[in-house]
Amino acid sequence: MGKLYRSREGTIASVDTKTQLTTLGSETAPGPLMVPAGAKSLKSVIVAMGTSQAVAADGSMFIRLEGPGLPEGPETLAVGSQGVAVATGGHGSRTAIEVDLDIPVVPANEILVFGENAGEDVGDVTIGVTLVFQM
Amino acid sequence: MSRTITVEGDVNAVDTRTLLTGQGSVTAPSLVVPAGMTKIKKIIMTAAADGLAAGHVVHFIRLGGSAVLNGEQTIMFGSDDSIAVQTGADAAPSLGSLFHLKDVDIDVRPSDTITIAGESAGVDVGDSTFAVTLVYGK
Repeated sequence: MGKLYRSREGTIASVDTKTQLTTLGSETAPGPLMVPAGAKSLKSVIVAMGTSQAVAADGSMFIRLEGPGLPEGPETLAVGSQGVAVATGGHGSRTAIEVDLDIPVVPANEILVFGENAGEDVGDVTIGVTLVFQM
Repeated sequence: MSRTITVEGDVNAVDTRTLLTGQGSVTAPSLVVPAGMTKIKKIIMTAAADGLAAGHVVHFIRLGGSAVLNGEQTIMFGSDDSIAVQTGADAAPSLGSLFHLKDVDIDVRPSDTITIAGESAGVDVGDSTFAVTLVYGK
């Protein structure tokens, strides 16, 4: 059986603040991210992130996966970091990361996706997360 | 046996689903899944931004159309961020990185049409250009 790819994104505006990722670009209210019927596991996670570079600071970013769709409890993944010496002039282009996993899931239940900035406040951070379900 | 299709296009506004339908000198390549191909096995995705606006976005694609058997699939693949330079200074280039996703395993129906859309989400960084290659197999 194939895989299914489900995504959410959002912007984190404050350091040390758990922020739920609830949108998907032009879809401002895509609804809860449900584990697809028939899914056997969360096979991998793909994450992309970009920052405003608007503060001379350095911070790290991670995501949290929570909710009734994950019977073993919450998961956390480090997804990147960023720092600048001066907040005037910069351009970053990053490729996404894919982390292979094998996490049990409960079909037809929700997974909540959160992003967070730790360390110093680097300004605003946009994080996009794709959950890859194995059918 | 594998078959490939590459499409590209400009994504010039944030939060805007944009169909990728060009292929450089070929303005309308066929988006019909080749006969006998039942899976998307690999995807290569890249994007670069001009950085003319101070912002931060993530880039993703949407795979849909009647050829995709289990509905639309959305896949994040990269990001761009930019902040304005001081007056008189030059900005750094955007060296768009390449994300090669292997073992994709998306079910498709051969001889039916796929749609490939690009999109950026976050705070607009200016104009972007996307290119996507799908590698089909069985």
